[in-house]
Amino acid sequence: MRGLFTPITKIRRQVFTEVAKYAFERDLEQSDFNYFYESSYRIIPGEVATYRDSVFKERAIIRERIRLALGLPIRPSITHQPFTQGMAECATTEKKLDMPLVNVIPFACEACPTDRVQVSDNCRKCLAHPCTTVCPVNAVSIGKHAAIIDQDKCIKCGRCIEACPYQAILRFGRPCAQACGAKAIESDDLGRAKINQDKCVSCGLCIVACPFAAIADKSEIFQLITAIRSGETVFAAVAPSFVGQFGPLATPGKIVSGIKALGITRVIEVGWGADVGSLHEAEEFLRDVPEHKPFLGTSCCTSWALFARKTQPTLAHCIAQTHTPMVASAQKIKAEHPGAKVVFIGPCVAKKLEALDDEVRPYVDYVITFEELMGLFSAKQIELSDLPETDLATQASRDGRNYAVAGGVAQAVVNVIKASGHEQDVPVTRADTLFECRKMLALAKAGKLNGHLLEGMACPGGCVGGPGTLSQIPRAATAVKAFAQDSPYQTAGDNTLEALAP
Amino acid sequence: MGVIHVEVCAGTHCTMMGAMNIMDAIHSLEELQQEMDNPCDIEVKAVPCMNLCRDEVHGPFVRVEGQLITHAESESVMAAIMDRCK
Ligand code: SF4
Ligand code: FES
Repeated sequence: MRGLFTPITKIRRQVFTEVAKYAFERDLEQSDFNYFYESSYRIIPGEVATYRDSVFKERAIIRERIRLALGLPIRPSITHQPFTQGMAECATTEKKLDMPLVNVIPFACEACPTDRVQVSDNCRKCLAHPCTTVCPVNAVSIGKHAAIIDQDKCIKCGRCIEACPYQAILRFGRPCAQACGAKAIESDDLGRAKINQDKCVSCGLCIVACPFAAIADKSEIFQLITAIRSGETVFAAVAPSFVGQFGPLATPGKIVSGIKALGITRVIEVGWGADVGSLHEAEEFLRDVPEHKPFLGTSCCTSWALFARKTQPTLAHCIAQTHTPMVASAQKIKAEHPGAKVVFIGPCVAKKLEALDDEVRPYVDYVITFEELMGLFSAKQIELSDLPETDLATQASRDGRNYAVAGGVAQAVVNVIKASGHEQDVPVTRADTLFECRKMLALAKAGKLNGHLLEGMACPGGCVGGPGTLSQIPRAATAVKAFAQDSPYQTAGDNTLEALAP
Repeated sequence: MGVIHVEVCAGTHCTMMGAMNIMDAIHSLEELQQEMDNPCDIEVKAVPCMNLCRDEVHGPFVRVEGQLITHAESESVMAAIMDRCK
């Protein structure tokens, strides 16, 4: 549940911590994966089920979550497969991640109704019962205790909901499907949620929406920690939304120190790559719009860009060809330090998908989320507030840092265009969440946004609303903006973009 | 009526276990208080690790007027504050 700390949040973080702890402490020569079996008992102790019908089921779900956290697929429910299968191969510094990234754990899914109008016990079986009178398909009848809706007849017009004087009738659907702007949630033969992988763009929003914690993504924390422990030089590239994610006392400088305390060599602001991106996108805009492309869509949000290309293939060329800030930053790191491994740390699940792309693979070795990073801090007992500030010898401009908040990307590009002496105003249209993006694309297709710069963001409020975040959106947005003001460079064009600091 | 002092541990362990969400819940009370007949002032402070998380883990930890709440959750902390606001 977004913005709230629920038992689900707790379980998810406990799983990350368990996996990270083992990865940090294990004997590199001789693994004992029974540890993870025990993890399910540590996370769900006792004999009495807390959340579901049985502890055995609760633990079984934890075990599949652990497999996902190790980068492994969940096991089929109908054939036997050892829990530890594949774990030995996971203990590597190689990339293990594979599609599908976002997974429904089928037996954890409660098969919520897809869309239903239902009478609640607020119904007083009143004499007037306007619900029956307004129903156009005669689906409402009055039962012994309350009104009853014939689900086969109901066409979900909502008239009875409006008519009821007691607000006794409600309409509800699946939280996962309601969060999915790509309309990728379908049903399996048992009525459980199933993700249509052709439609899924790995935005990860269903993961935070499901109240039964039935959906989880795969992680690379195990491989990352293995790399650190094997003595690899690891560079961390942190997304602009990192500010404010780890509590009010964890200043940006302390977060950097914390990441280094994990054994990571250097920490780079991905805002640097955002500046590179702004310059490119401004150039693309000035060069191609409107001569070659009616409009230009930003490309930094992987889910949005993929969604636009998938759902409107004829407009695919209008999405900027610019590399995402993650890739631009990683390329720079690899150019300066060819032997180093790069981990991108961000709010985003879709960046995990992007890093599987053949063109991106050589630059980005691992992608983890802020929430996963928190698991690493916890496993290593790193107390951020105790650490000194590591100076982030500035890498990103104010505008690059503001990429994290919806509206920031377009603003950054517009500022570059303005600075280039371009006279006319550039009209901007923006959308966050794929539901809004879908509408924006429809307008674009209808020719209503010609000459515009389109900013698309899959997550509500931009990256600060990503599924891998810890902080509430408004709090995070405020922190990001304050940090942006601290940069000595205003726009991308002001950034010297020379060697990476610090 | 008076000032209610609340300290929320913002150390790593407590933050991971939801301290920031508890802070948000407390801030939500400030708004609620303004609508009440007898509003009281709530003073929230994020404090560094209280060093209570080292052995057995019972966080997040919150102090309301000095009194320690273990396994703190939004609901228990809000109730403790509202109790003192009567
Ligand atoms: S919200 Fe969760 S439990 Fe409900 S259908 Fe979706 S995946 Fe299943
Ligand atoms: S982090 Fe709260 S007591 Fe240590």
